[in-house]
Amino acid sequence: MTELLIDDIRKELDDGNVTSDELFNESIEKANKFQDVYNSFVTIMDKKEEVNSNSLLSGIPYALKDNISTKGILTTGSSNILKDYIPVYDATVYRKLKEAGAVLVGKTVLDELAMGGSGTTGHTGIVRNPWNKERSIGGSSSGSAASVALGIVPFSIGSDTGDSIRKPAAYGGIVGFKPTYGRVSRYGLFAFASSLDTVGVMARSIRDISYVMDIIKGHDDNDMTSLPDENIKYSDNLDNDVSGRKLFYIKEALENNSGNEELKRIIDNFYRTVDKARELGFEVEEVSFDKVLLEAVYPAYNVISCAEATSNNSNLTGITFGNRVEGSNINDIMIKTRTEGFSELIKRRFVIGSYVLQKENQDKLFLNACRVRRLIVDKMNELFKRYDGLILPSTEKIAPRFDEASDKLGDDYLILGNHLIIGNFGGFPSISIPSGFVNDMPISVNITGRAKEDALVLNMANKLEGILGFRGQVSKSE
Amino acid sequence: MIDRNKLDDLAKKLMFKMNDNEYETLLKEFDITLKQMDFISNINDIVNVEPIFFPFDLELDDSCLRNDNYRNEIDFNDMLVNVKKYEGSKVKVPKVVE
Repeated sequence: MTELLIDDIRKELDDGNVTSDELFNESIEKANKFQDVYNSFVTIMDKKEEVNSNSLLSGIPYALKDNISTKGILTTGSSNILKDYIPVYDATVYRKLKEAGAVLVGKTVLDELAMGGSGTTGHTGIVRNPWNKERSIGGSSSGSAASVALGIVPFSIGSDTGDSIRKPAAYGGIVGFKPTYGRVSRYGLFAFASSLDTVGVMARSIRDISYVMDIIKGHDDNDMTSLPDENIKYSDNLDNDVSGRKLFYIKEALENNSGNEELKRIIDNFYRTVDKARELGFEVEEVSFDKVLLEAVYPAYNVISCAEATSNNSNLTGITFGNRVEGSNINDIMIKTRTEGFSELIKRRFVIGSYVLQKENQDKLFLNACRVRRLIVDKMNELFKRYDGLILPSTEKIAPRFDEASDKLGDDYLILGNHLIIGNFGGFPSISIPSGFVNDMPISVNITGRAKEDALVLNMANKLEGILGFRGQVSKSE
Repeated sequence: MIDRNKLDDLAKKLMFKMNDNEYETLLKEFDITLKQMDFISNINDIVNVEPIFFPFDLELDDSCLRNDNYRNEIDFNDMLVNVKKYEGSKVKVPKVVE
């Protein structure tokens, strides 16, 4: 039953055909059954939390990314340096779900400290794609995506700094939503890059995403960047008429100069999706975007995110936080703790971050990256005066095989592989929706809209989902 | 120009050690990163663009400056789950002043 959509599970609960205890047990059984192969979880709960609530989510099982603080429950960030850390307070998103009666099934594997996109760098091992276990599910919200795609839970919570919800959702054939920056409190989220980090939702339908968002959004005094409350329920606005709504796609992002057959099929699927959007009454237009700026997206992201990460993780010393390795003096303790606690990828990112923040490099590297961010965000906001959203394929390829999945920086650059970062640069709400299959693997389209207009993005995505026909999809493994 | 000595210095400042393979990968990544950033430096008039550090202007009001009231949010017994050594109500940490 945990493979159903929330409305269907709710009905079974309300009709007395199943109890929340039985649902929890079913989720736990599935989580354990799939764990050896797919490795979605760092921790699978052994006891159900009991909270009385009349909310729609009461009794509904879900999974939470393991970089979100849960008082008394191991929270590792999938890093050796925090492998024994037990938070002493609850993240706001977890508290809100608990108060709504949603039932935590487990804490999910991520790329170490959320700084990767391959699903291969968590300290407890790689996460496999439920559609093909020889392939990656991407990251960093790897286990959150896999647990939903496997039907273990109807929804999960992830975090997204560059594409960490939307890309694994795309590779896993599910829906992934990154809300507007500040729409969901970051209190209790392990910070990666604070100006980009966003807590969001993964599920098997946009309606389910909206149900969860209606619970977790809202202002939080504990997060000074959280937005004011808005007087709107997303789930009540999903079926609003979209005829006349205007979308654009970026011409330069759809170039396929290499003639790559897989990319060709992804682009063909995208144009068919655009045709379907037009059938719904959307106006969809092609727009040309400065290619130099598009090619600057990832370099700027790399510099900004590494710089912020270096600073944010400086508290992991083994003294205040982190799994302490004993040493002869304070410096020796810190060096041993950080050397053993961080993987190679994390160290490389910190060195890059530290380098760009050195006084002599700040202007040419860090500030130039922030200037590029300004140019891209300004251009997007200018386009959003004429259009309600940007639509593009979510990814430039299907989920990669493990021998192709890497977090090493490469020389090759594909605009389509990096455009989701624009959503984080501008804090724009952005959603990936399953749109078909290539080589038996799911592919996806993405809609990104104006900042603070989450309701409209979900409304447009819901209409498109309705005509694409993949609502409620669970991987074939189940 | 980035070389092994410079990277070694940065790693020391960051309080960790790296092995030869890690340095080798990092040097390659720096080569790519710096090439990419050179590309950004050549964007027309980039130096005159005002950088941004957040996605949009934050709507901060008085509530972002909380009253300076003492809030002891962490119960000592809760905290002990992450503590290796303690004595009475005090946590034992390594000597931090030599």
